[in-house]
Amino acid sequence: MILLVTAAATYGLRVVLITLVPAHRLPAVMRRGLSHLAPAALAALVVTALVGSRGATALVVLGPMHLALAVAALVAWRFRNPALPVLAAVAVMTVLEVLS
Amino acid sequence: MDITLRHTRRADGVMDAVRDLAPVVLGLAPFAMLIGVTAVRSGVGAGTGVLSSALLYGGSGQLTAITLMGGGAGAGAVLAAVTLVNARFLLYAAALEPHFRGQPRWFRWAAAHFVVDPTYAMVTRRGALGDLDDPARFRRYWLTAGGVLAVAWVAMTALGGLLAPVLSASSALDVAAPAMFLAMLVPQLRARPAVVGAGTAGVTAALASPLPSGLGLLCGIAAGVVAATVTPLTRTRTTDPSRRAS
Repeated sequence: MILLVTAAATYGLRVVLITLVPAHRLPAVMRRGLSHLAPAALAALVVTALVGSRGATALVVLGPMHLALAVAALVAWRFRNPALPVLAAVAVMTVLEVLS
Repeated sequence: MDITLRHTRRADGVMDAVRDLAPVVLGLAPFAMLIGVTAVRSGVGAGTGVLSSALLYGGSGQLTAITLMGGGAGAGAVLAAVTLVNARFLLYAAALEPHFRGQPRWFRWAAAHFVVDPTYAMVTRRGALGDLDDPARFRRYWLTAGGVLAVAWVAMTALGGLLAPVLSASSALDVAAPAMFLAMLVPQLRARPAVVGAGTAGVTAALASPLPSGLGLLCGIAAGVVAATVTPLTRTRTTDPSRRAS
């Protein structure tokens, strides 16, 4: 039941600016901002996964995930294939776990 | 219109989606499996994990829901936390709305369910090339990408649930999701506003990460969007041709 209510709320988030209040009725400044959404959202998702709830210090206190994501970034920059960075990051994490 | 040409165009939207989606599915598979594993280990059960993949269809929101439910949190707390974590879908939907405008009513209501990080990123990349301007082509692309990803997502979650008892407690799966998002981010870092927006979003998300679940992420996204929006203005001023000429 909790899951159904949560799913309904999530569906509402997805549908409201497409069907009920179409986004082209939003103020121009907001619409301009939306074109810059993708890089900001993706970067925030990466960093949130990296630091958890430990705050900004977790960005500079290096751990295995930092190394894995650094390798993933290099692979993404070099090959532009979405699967390779993931495989590289998982491989780095696995190797580091085995070594430790 | 010539039948062959019409068929080719129809196949175009579908095949483009399949081509774009294949590496994404491969990359997201560990993340989907992680949700199945977490569902089993947190005690809510593999069935709930699979159901969450079909109904919620968003990895971070699902992990939040499963973790909270496994910890015995109340319905209100789960609803509030997942709504906050998934609030970014509101922004994605707003950004994607031009593609949904002029589409049939059934599509606007039903296909909105497929608004999620990978489909948004895929359309953004294709849209930048002007590839999805035709409504029918966008419809085929979106239904294929969203539908196939949903089926794969549910299947991989189920697989994770099945394999949970035999998978070791490795943290290697944890890195799959951020690596996938990184793979989608890097190709977008061509223009200066994107770089500034991504940098600002990352730093802000880190600074705000101790805030209750989801808020740090939202703060990061908001700060990044604002920073990217004002960046072109700054740049226009410094690269004014009349100044360069003098």
